[in-house]
Amino acid sequence: MSSFTLYQPRDSGLHRLHPLTKLTLTLCGVATAVVLPGFWPNYLLFALFLLPLAAWGQIVCPLLRAVWPIWWPFVLSLFLVQGLFWPGGTPIVTLGPLSFKQEGVLFATAMAGRILVLIGSFLLLSLATRPDALMNALTARGLSHKLAYIILAAIQIVPRFQAKAETITAAQQSRGLETQGNLLRRARALLPLLGPLILSSLMDVEERAIALEARGFGRRTLRTSLILLSEQPWEKGVRALLLLATAVLILARTVLALR
Amino acid sequence: MNLVELHNITYSYPRTAQPALRDLSLAIPQGQFCTVVGVNGAGKSTLCYLLAGFVPHFYHGELTGTAQVAGHDVAQTPLAEMAADVGLVFANPFNQITGARFSVREEVAFGLENMGIPRAEMLARTEEMLALTGLSDLAERSPYALSGGQQQRLAIASVLVMRPRLLVLDEPTSQLDPAGTQEIFALLAKLVRRGETAVVLVSHELEWIGQHADRVVVLDDGRILADGPPRAILASEMLPIPGTRYTQAARRARAEGLAPAQGELPVTLREAVAFFRQA
Repeated sequence: MSSFTLYQPRDSGLHRLHPLTKLTLTLCGVATAVVLPGFWPNYLLFALFLLPLAAWGQIVCPLLRAVWPIWWPFVLSLFLVQGLFWPGGTPIVTLGPLSFKQEGVLFATAMAGRILVLIGSFLLLSLATRPDALMNALTARGLSHKLAYIILAAIQIVPRFQAKAETITAAQQSRGLETQGNLLRRARALLPLLGPLILSSLMDVEERAIALEARGFGRRTLRTSLILLSEQPWEKGVRALLLLATAVLILARTVLALR
Repeated sequence: MNLVELHNITYSYPRTAQPALRDLSLAIPQGQFCTVVGVNGAGKSTLCYLLAGFVPHFYHGELTGTAQVAGHDVAQTPLAEMAADVGLVFANPFNQITGARFSVREEVAFGLENMGIPRAEMLARTEEMLALTGLSDLAERSPYALSGGQQQRLAIASVLVMRPRLLVLDEPTSQLDPAGTQEIFALLAKLVRRGETAVVLVSHELEWIGQHADRVVVLDDGRILADGPPRAILASEMLPIPGTRYTQAARRARAEGLAPAQGELPVTLREAVAFFRQA
């Protein structure tokens, strides 16, 4: 229970890339996934683009392990809903009143590919980038340091929050509060759990605000950073190229769609 | 000029009838190690918050009198400016960790980053502070992976690295186990010996105070009840504090006729040994 981050430290070229380069990769991946037509290009994108990048970063297994539990519920619901309830269409399998339609299955396959690339892009970024380095790069580009603080603190504080919730649950159970059983009983137990959790968290917020102020967090002077972000000379070019390619792709899709 | 000059300070938190500090005046010279004792609700924490500017800037409320700390008029100086000259450490080690840094070293550097200190100087000062507080071997760890005593040393390192002229510690050991408490007091003894920073410490560890402090201020109901060197205060019979273990034992021995009725009561362990040898 150290933190909420997915980051996997490795000594790899992908890890050494500037956080902004990886963020650009991710955003371009997402934009491409959304605009690519048909049901196979997204799978190709995943196999020929994201997986080799993950291999470069030595994180293929962590990537697949992280993608799978998020992806399969989408896949399952897409195939069930689109397959069964596609209006009209050609039935492939029929079971009593229910029948699987070919068009629905094709559509679900395309959507699942799109979601695969979306999830994969974000997870690749999270696995190969230290969150503080990313926030650092973004604050250097004008992101508010307060917003960056909130994002970073959430990563580490959420697990502590869970631990506190467990302590409160145990404390209330030891006083006879029943937190298990049917829905009504669980709902009734919620209030005595939420009250102390919210109140004590608010008190923590006050103390943490004092601690932050005592460390000069409210200063308006220029900030410096201990983390050194390195950037290869060619990375700016790569980012520009990625953005350009994605822009061309989006433009081409828009033009095609309009014709 | 004194580092701290408080004149006739009266302060009430918002929506309270009773003031937390009443007509309080206090002067602390440069480099002094001043301790503050008193029962709960005596105003000790409020005094700490006033020295660091959180009263009145964070808690608001009503403040009268004048407060000069490290050359700043507290009522007129924004918190961000006070932070560079006054360091504040409080009881809960956990809530003093920013949560936004992933290693002990980065946590220590957080204040310097906010002050805009150049990276080379930041690194040097951070390493120096890690060494002073005995955290060098833990520099790469997550701040959350430390023990309570280590976290509290980290909190102290994190404010000391900003080179405050005054370090204020509000019951820094009250949530620590005995081992953690000892770590903090060993560090404080080292800091006090260095003598670079004036220290105001609120604590109930009277034995330690008796041995190390320059001065003890007794607060009661928002007022200063007594103020003087540890030996005069901690052996006194007139105050609402119990005195050190040694004083209590000597007093008991005296009441049972085991020790002479005259002479000074012991405050430190060494004095106690001498006292009982005599008796």
